[in-house]
Amino acid sequence: MQEQRIGEVIEASSTQWTTGAYELLNAPPFGSLIKAGCYDNDLCVYGLVYDIRTGSRDLGGKAMVRGGRRYDGSEFYDDQIYSEHPDLAAVLQTEWSALVIGYERAGRIIHYLPPQPPTVHYSVHLCDDNTVHRFTQHCDFFRMVLHANLPIVDELLGTAIRNAAELQANRREYELYAGRELARLLRDDYDRLRVLVRMLTS
Amino acid sequence: MPLDFNQVGQQIKQMGGDLRQTANQHDQLVATAWANLEQQSPRWEHWARHAEENYLRSPWLLAAPAEPITNRYRLPKFAPNYCLAAVDGSQIDLDRHWAVECFLINLGLVTIQYGQQPYSKLHSVPALHYNDQELLLRDKDGRSYKMAGALVHAERDTREGIALASLAQEILATSTAPLVAMQDGTLIRWSLSGLDPWVRSHFLQRYLDEGLAALRAADVPTCSYISHPKAPEVTGIARLIAKPTLNSASKAEGIIDPYPGINDTKLFGNGLLGDGERSALFKSLSKINVEEYGEHAIYFFYLNVGAELARIEMPEWVAQRPEWVDLIHAVAYDQAHRGGGYPVALARAHEQAVVRESDRRVFRQMIEQALWHARLSNGSSLKQDAKAQVRV
Repeated sequence: MQEQRIGEVIEASSTQWTTGAYELLNAPPFGSLIKAGCYDNDLCVYGLVYDIRTGSRDLGGKAMVRGGRRYDGSEFYDDQIYSEHPDLAAVLQTEWSALVIGYERAGRIIHYLPPQPPTVHYSVHLCDDNTVHRFTQHCDFFRMVLHANLPIVDELLGTAIRNAAELQANRREYELYAGRELARLLRDDYDRLRVLVRMLTS
Repeated sequence: MPLDFNQVGQQIKQMGGDLRQTANQHDQLVATAWANLEQQSPRWEHWARHAEENYLRSPWLLAAPAEPITNRYRLPKFAPNYCLAAVDGSQIDLDRHWAVECFLINLGLVTIQYGQQPYSKLHSVPALHYNDQELLLRDKDGRSYKMAGALVHAERDTREGIALASLAQEILATSTAPLVAMQDGTLIRWSLSGLDPWVRSHFLQRYLDEGLAALRAADVPTCSYISHPKAPEVTGIARLIAKPTLNSASKAEGIIDPYPGINDTKLFGNGLLGDGERSALFKSLSKINVEEYGEHAIYFFYLNVGAELARIEMPEWVAQRPEWVDLIHAVAYDQAHRGGGYPVALARAHEQAVVRESDRRVFRQMIEQALWHARLSNGSSLKQDAKAQVRV
């Protein structure tokens, strides 16, 4: 199955990248696994989606309140605002950040930082179940997420593990495997471990 | 040195007081002017004739009413199901300090469709000109004119008109919603008035033949929207009513203006037009309009869009069709409301067209790189370099 092309890289570094959506408001869910291309055709970079946002394409532009009463007395809100202002689709942009958690070269998945960041303007695909299953078989990427300097890393990792567990033949077994790996990584931080484990089991 | 706000503040305060006093005087003058216009409104045909006969001798700009002068029209009933084509442009002018002579015209093209199938398309089309043929206009006697300053501006205006016609034709091929073509600013090419007749004709004929005539052939209601207009043409009629005998002798001595400081915005913006109401239609009697526009002669009305008074201009072949005038009336108002006071399509066209200072810098760097790659000198003038950098 062809994986869905959802946007393109608009900013990139070795540890994270930003994707601009092809369709306004159409972002993959928080914690999804996505992959971005590189000018080195053999290489593709994997990341977890966080910080989804929509705003003005123009630097310094700001969305303004548009709903309410029209001059003819009718009222419009929510999706009607987008119908009333079709130009919004051209001046707003949805984008999201992705935390780099590995790469693939010549069919081999590696849970380390890639040799090159994704290339700006290259396509970003939403990984299908098959790829998510393949990528999350091993828990080596947990370490990269936990050590990222982001305020939402625990939420991000918890969501990613839950997504991965849902695709496993034996979900319980995967959760235990993930739990053991978390316990090893967070042996010095009981509070964080407890929150993450609760996320997995709730 | 920074501005001395202590001193400026005093002067601003003084200005505020003076302006209040002037505004009070203006209110009285506007009331008198409007009362005279109302009284003479039924004789509009007489004043139209009189204005057309005297527009050259008049010390004031004039308009010819196309109907009773003080007619007013409420916002027509209107289902917002329409498509709007809008164009705006900007340019990077030829700069003699640059290493290479060239200019760039950037057009912003906007299509927005409202109603059943909402849709929008925003894009810009830049065009770089650097050939000798593009940088020099030559008339039939071999005289040449450099494309710089006013001429680049005229070229941009001309291109905007032609691009609007092409855009409208493209839209008509795919959309069935009622289409309106709208430009920012005036349709009267005032800026050409001061140019050499051959140069004026070079730009104006292309604008009329490939722009307005093409829009007419495509049957597209065409208009332009002027925010915060300063024109004094309808007040010119009031002046003509107050001083109907214009002769050159009195012109030489200087006719005393019966309504000093009053323009059309002051006249109509003084509560005479309610929210959504428009004024009567008038034909502009500016010299270039009367003498050069022919079948495309520009008419206009004033429209209270709520936030301000706007002037809406249209060619004669639009003004003669009341259903089109109604459509333009409604669309201009609808657009201004959607855009928070200014037509959203024009704002978007401007955003597409505008060349910001940062874009200019990148443009210049790209040119210098291109010259470097071509192993040509990239030596811009030292004066330009000095202006770009403050040395301390």
